[in-house]
Amino acid sequence: MTAELITEVGVSTEAPTRGRQVRRRLLADRMAMAGLVVAGVMIVAALAAPLLIHLEGQDPTTYHPELLDSARGGVPRGAFGGAGGAHWLGVEPTTGRDLFARALGGARISFLVAFGTLIVQILLGVSVGLAAGLGGKVADAFLGRLIDLAISFPQLIFAIALLAIVPGTFPRPILLMIVIGLFGWGGVARLIRGQVLSLRTRDYVAAARLSGAGRVRIALREILPGVSAPLVTYAALLLPSNMISEAGLSFLGVGVRPPDSSWGQMLSTATTWFQADPTYVLVPGLLLLLNVLAFTLLADGVRTALDPKAPSLRGGRK
Amino acid sequence: MRTSPALLTAAALLAAATACSSSDSSSSSGTSAFDPKTCQGGTLYVLNQSDATAHHLDPARIYTSGGGAVTSLIFRTLTTRHRVPGEAGDEVVPDLATDTGKASDGAKTWTYHLKDGLKFDDGTPITSKDIKWGVERAFAPELPGGIPYLRDWLAGGADYKGPYKGKELDSIQTPDDKTIVFKLRKPEGDFPYVATATQFAPVPKAKDDGTGYEKHPVSSGPYKVASHEQDKSLVLVRNPYWSRSVDDQRLACPDRLEGTYGLNSAVINQRLSSSAGKDANAITTDTDLSPAELARISTDPSLKKRAVKGEFGETDYIAFNTKVKPFDDIRVREAVAYAVSRQSVVNAVGGSSLAKAATTFLPDQAAFGYQPYDYFPAGPNGNAAKAKELLAQAGHPNGLTITLAHRNADYNHDGPAVATALQAALKQAGITVNLKPYDDAGYGDTVQKPSTEPGMFLATWGADWPTGGPFLAPIFDGRQILEDGGNFNASQLNDPKINAEFDAINQITDPVQARPRWGALDAEIGKQALTVPLIHPIYIRLTGKNLKNAYLDQWRGSYDPAMVSVK
Repeated sequence: MTAELITEVGVSTEAPTRGRQVRRRLLADRMAMAGLVVAGVMIVAALAAPLLIHLEGQDPTTYHPELLDSARGGVPRGAFGGAGGAHWLGVEPTTGRDLFARALGGARISFLVAFGTLIVQILLGVSVGLAAGLGGKVADAFLGRLIDLAISFPQLIFAIALLAIVPGTFPRPILLMIVIGLFGWGGVARLIRGQVLSLRTRDYVAAARLSGAGRVRIALREILPGVSAPLVTYAALLLPSNMISEAGLSFLGVGVRPPDSSWGQMLSTATTWFQADPTYVLVPGLLLLLNVLAFTLLADGVRTALDPKAPSLRGGRK
Repeated sequence: MRTSPALLTAAALLAAATACSSSDSSSSSGTSAFDPKTCQGGTLYVLNQSDATAHHLDPARIYTSGGGAVTSLIFRTLTTRHRVPGEAGDEVVPDLATDTGKASDGAKTWTYHLKDGLKFDDGTPITSKDIKWGVERAFAPELPGGIPYLRDWLAGGADYKGPYKGKELDSIQTPDDKTIVFKLRKPEGDFPYVATATQFAPVPKAKDDGTGYEKHPVSSGPYKVASHEQDKSLVLVRNPYWSRSVDDQRLACPDRLEGTYGLNSAVINQRLSSSAGKDANAITTDTDLSPAELARISTDPSLKKRAVKGEFGETDYIAFNTKVKPFDDIRVREAVAYAVSRQSVVNAVGGSSLAKAATTFLPDQAAFGYQPYDYFPAGPNGNAAKAKELLAQAGHPNGLTITLAHRNADYNHDGPAVATALQAALKQAGITVNLKPYDDAGYGDTVQKPSTEPGMFLATWGADWPTGGPFLAPIFDGRQILEDGGNFNASQLNDPKINAEFDAINQITDPVQARPRWGALDAEIGKQALTVPLIHPIYIRLTGKNLKNAYLDQWRGSYDPAMVSVK
């Protein structure tokens, strides 16, 4: 899904041969392909979570006290945190809720917040970056400082403060998108501004201007397609970083609220259990690691593939 | 102890009783047996999350049960808790006084005589006037934080503003240096229990400079303060004017005590379990094992030996505000009572080693007058069918959506862990529960004011002393509904017959006689389903490996530093 999006953007920006080139490079990059497969499986699993959980025959909120050893602090009975045919990844200590169902719930939150945040970041970053690059000196100076401010802001502290004061009735995933997005657009804006400054002196832009095109038209039709390649690269790198931000905030207890699950929140309760019930730590820990790694590898592949200086591949894979 | 975090902390600091003579009964972990005659020496280290002196080292400002853990080493009181293990630890015994008090005028007048040879840490003798001064200064507005009972109980206490402006409290009389008489506004058979509070410790008027007194408190106990840095550290050394011949309630084995405060609970348990260096001589008076640590300890026999179990009279429950719909309908309250899964709640707070299911409001200890009852039998996992039936009768055949308010932190058993466990259980009975978390700091204020009190919320109640009175009266006595805040009568029950029974039992001066009456009253109130009792917590705490005679007492559920030995 992500890869298609990327190659399509590639196609639309430059000559058709460039698009094929990018796709070929990406396909030849084994690490990126591994990342793509893992990320694809995760996204499909998250989308199909209700179906998969139904298939397992469990749900994320039912308590199963009968599966816990209450006298030992409520650890799951049996090896590997009670994993088996009924509960594929075992159950959560002290509650007995199904870990597979909760982990998938966490995946949904993770993707939802990561992609939602990305949209906020791109919308804010692109509009401010374009305005700074194409606006006059005053606008550039003002917006440039704004971008500096956004980048140098103590994000974590502010995010925690904001998340703590917003009433509990506000939907948490949307709130997380806004809060993480609000502090993460500076990089996008700076990137776009730099690209715009170098693009706007190009001949085709000058030609458009001479033929009477307005500023908005130039920004959207001439400049924006030119900056899409670096933007796609940057966005791909932002995704795993957004996942980590969500996990981090949920870990600190200001992210999603119970009974919703999130990997960060699971990790936070699991840390005290790492000796008594290692499975409980491994499930959210490995999922987060795999996911972030997959998206990072993919982003790295996209960057290399879109890099015009990279050696070109001819004749496809051997 | 109240539901506010500050007081919870105070309660957690409460000390334990232990056996002076019966050293056979406790779990001493040292190599040789404990002998009170040769237990003296060494330094005891106290590793705590909060300041064991309740922040202010002034007897007027301390709010603990039974005199506290560390504070009871510095401040002796008229009476004190019986420092023995088991149920006898719930008894009150004389400390500075010769007996636990002589009641007259229908338990409205209490007379005490002081023992001979009592001295402060500067060698001056302790007189009854020092005790009167100590009680009076607890009324001073500049020294807040102490127990609320003095103002309510002592005649003229409601308007008294402390002795610093030259006015005495006439209801405390000292006919001679050895005698002190308290005149109460109403009969209070539990007065000897209140006299264990640090407000009943002697304070010499000559050394008292009001708010500055906490910097140089005068000791009447086995140790005096060498240094105290608020919320950080405390060092106690021996008081040369104290000896076991004038105090039969404290062993005071260590020569020195060093307290470190402000530690993280995981750090405390880690240090105690590894017991390296000085930590081998360490205890904690405020930190329980967490569920995860408990699971680990159950597989390590050497640690298991050092994990000591105790109980503090406490009930964690669902409170209903009967002025809020639909909880004005007893059938809805009963439906909730049938639907709860106590097994899930027990697991949520750490499993059966850290809590037991509760169906009565009174803790299941003899001292409280416990009488077993279970009017709405939910079994371990809830009775959804019965709950649905009641809901249908109450006019909610298609289920019900209600809101459960809770604290946004789990340390007090009224947080998200318990709330989500209840949410899952009530769902089985067709009750959709929306959770409403409140900020930790604002939770108490919200639920303790009738005008802002939610319809259903998680609450906890612990005993100021182990009898039925302080456990039931604030929750169910209709005259204790406080409109301006600090209200614990959440259901806002005001039943003249029940109020009259409170008055009748308060006239009984023999706690053993009062017990069955308290138990019967609890069993009577329980029929109205004004609360849903969930659990009684159990305390499990670690000691360093050199500790002897360390066990958790019945009164406080905590170690008693006055009884342990590190030798």
